[in-house]
Amino acid sequence: MMKKLLLILLGITLFAQASWARTIIIAQDATWPPMEFVNENKEIVGFDTDYMKAAAREGGYDVELKNVAWDGIFGGLAAGKYDAICSSVTITDERKKTMDFSIPYFKVRQALVVPKSSVAKTLDDMKGKTVGAQIGTTGYFAVKEVTGIEAKSYDEIGLAMEDLFNGRIDGVVCDDPVAAQYALQRSDYAAKLQIAAVLDTGDEYYGVAVQKGNKEVLDLINKGIKAVQEKGIDKELRTKWIGQ
Amino acid sequence: MSQEKPVIEISDGAAIPTRKDFGLFSAWRIAFFGAIVILIYLVMFKPDPYLRIVRFLPDGILVTFQVTFFSITFALILGLFTGIGRISQNKMVNAIASTYVEVVRGIPLLVQLFYIYYALGRFVRVPDMVAAVIAMSVCYGAYMGEVFRAGIESIDKGQTEAARSLGFNRAQTMLYVILPQAWRTILPPVGNEFIALLKDTSLVSILAVADLLRRGREFASETFAYFETYTIIALIYLLITLILSKLVSIMEEKLNYYGKI
Repeated sequence: MMKKLLLILLGITLFAQASWARTIIIAQDATWPPMEFVNENKEIVGFDTDYMKAAAREGGYDVELKNVAWDGIFGGLAAGKYDAICSSVTITDERKKTMDFSIPYFKVRQALVVPKSSVAKTLDDMKGKTVGAQIGTTGYFAVKEVTGIEAKSYDEIGLAMEDLFNGRIDGVVCDDPVAAQYALQRSDYAAKLQIAAVLDTGDEYYGVAVQKGNKEVLDLINKGIKAVQEKGIDKELRTKWIGQ
Repeated sequence: MSQEKPVIEISDGAAIPTRKDFGLFSAWRIAFFGAIVILIYLVMFKPDPYLRIVRFLPDGILVTFQVTFFSITFALILGLFTGIGRISQNKMVNAIASTYVEVVRGIPLLVQLFYIYYALGRFVRVPDMVAAVIAMSVCYGAYMGEVFRAGIESIDKGQTEAARSLGFNRAQTMLYVILPQAWRTILPPVGNEFIALLKDTSLVSILAVADLLRRGREFASETFAYFETYTIIALIYLLITLILSKLVSIMEEKLNYYGKI
């Protein structure tokens, strides 16, 4: 009698396992406000973070977030240390060679941030000057495209902004929500910095990156993103984090 | 003149080859020729991406050497004064020198780099290379101070006494009698520290200084060729330190001319 009971309990737990939600581990470089950053309680917060949590709810899976430094974030994906990256990663052809992307979930353009005293209006006006960007980002690639500008690569965008604030460099190029965060919202930086221009390098789209060939995770994430977009949750998050 | 000269052991940096490393298969030979063979093989037979990497790095190597040479120069000057200050009879000078050594040896070099660049950056605008050189000189100056102190203290007290009784004042004794003898003991550890400093310059990449490691990281983050890039970087650092350690051991042998060290 006891044995039968135990076997039935075992069967139930095994079935229950099968219906436990899949947990997807997503890496973010939480130094990119307001898309992903760390708040005073040491939690990862931001537009991307909330987006992934909402997508997980809609898509029927669990999500676990990891804070990983940008410099090695793609290496970790290739090595299988986590399932996906949702960290303001622009979809580019170069990147598509080594990883797969979800459907686009956000659109940005590159912006140039300069001190209020500067009269530069385009990236070309910065010729002969030093412009910083985060290492390995589309902003950094955009700066390197222009000959005559000395490009400086930083580990985090915050360090680049700090150098700009202290007058060590003449400009910073990064995605426009981040530029707005520093040049308009953070009062100490906003007092000294302004957005000179939105660069005409074209529209960029963020996608969630997964290891090449990982169709299972990609499908789940796409399902979640689609649901979020259909329900308009992404617009609410935009208002919440970016304010437009 | 068969005095046993005390040796200052500072175990950092590549192992300086000793007389015992005879034969064809000494560790230095294996490491050096192995590294060269691997480097040449990779660049010649797998030019993509290895040749691209090697083309991308040279200005980084130049910056690494610049930071190293400027830092070691200032560290030596700082170390000389610190070492003398530490044995000075003057309580004030002694206190300053000793405190400096204690504080600097108590804070990690990386933290010092960040501090001098970012923390002080709000008050004193210092370009990145200058901040890097200042931080490395200050940090290694403290270690050099200890090397100088040990070297100076190793000179027999009789030398000082004889010089003083001949009418030299303290400064003249130091300059004309003590230091010329002490430098033989001081030079090998200084060579060792030089190599350690060169390896530590890799930390300045955190200040966005475009040194060898930084260039490597930039290349890797654009092309995702992490394994290939860091392999080349490691090989280049290894070759540089091996060559320098060979030079230091040759210098040690020359200094040994008069007897055992």
